[in-house]
Amino acid sequence: MKTLLIKLEPIIWALFGAGMMVVALLMPGWLLMVGVAGPMDVLWAEALSYDRMHGLFGHPIGRLIAAAAIALPLWAGAHHIRHLAIDFGGIARDTVFAPLCYAVALAGSVAAVLAVLAL
Amino acid sequence: MSARARVDAMKSSAAPPTRTADPSPPDHFPGRGNYLSYVAFGATGILMWLAAFQVLRAIRALGAGEEAWNTMLASFRHPSYVVFHAFLFVGLTWFALRFFQVFPKTQPPRMGPFARPSDTFFKVALNGAFVVVTLLIALVLGGAIL
Repeated sequence: MKTLLIKLEPIIWALFGAGMMVVALLMPGWLLMVGVAGPMDVLWAEALSYDRMHGLFGHPIGRLIAAAAIALPLWAGAHHIRHLAIDFGGIARDTVFAPLCYAVALAGSVAAVLAVLAL
Repeated sequence: MSARARVDAMKSSAAPPTRTADPSPPDHFPGRGNYLSYVAFGATGILMWLAAFQVLRAIRALGAGEEAWNTMLASFRHPSYVVFHAFLFVGLTWFALRFFQVFPKTQPPRMGPFARPSDTFFKVALNGAFVVVTLLIALVLGGAIL
């Protein structure tokens, strides 16, 4: 497992790096508008309506952005959580914990692709 | 043609004595000095997962139809959900701004054929991109454009 993790490191690192940038650029805006402003009725009434949102995210570019906004942050989060676990629990359990973290990211990525295909 | 030199040709066959101590956390880890912000930065991985699964939930609801979408939006109106999303927003905004501070330090002196840009360039480009993209998302999701 350790050898496999080392071999996959360049791929994991690329997904992690891309995920960091996607989280930094896309998540605050999404959370502010859909999670806070929308529920507090600050937005135009039809802004988050089903038809409008389906139109935005049903478009090929919208689907691509949605898939990236789900999958890449999962990989960035997995790498962060893995290294946090190493800082607190040592490297000994990394061969168990790292695959678990990346398995969650992989499962979430598959779910993301299926979700955008269903739009 | 001569054979390639082996870098370990002069290596002793006996195992060397251990000179380094076992790895251990530094003093005052994780509660003091820069360690706290370092650990908090690492812990934002949990926020990333929570936010990503929230987006996944939204896209799945969108795919399931109007009723599922409206049910999800109605659940977001609960005060605890609003507080949760506000917490994620603050946490990930802090992550973004700290990431933009760390990013230039991770860049090599040369990037392909180009010399590494100055720290000021990175600061302006990354923070500028953050403002522009966040504003664009706010305008699109707020219904002002598109």
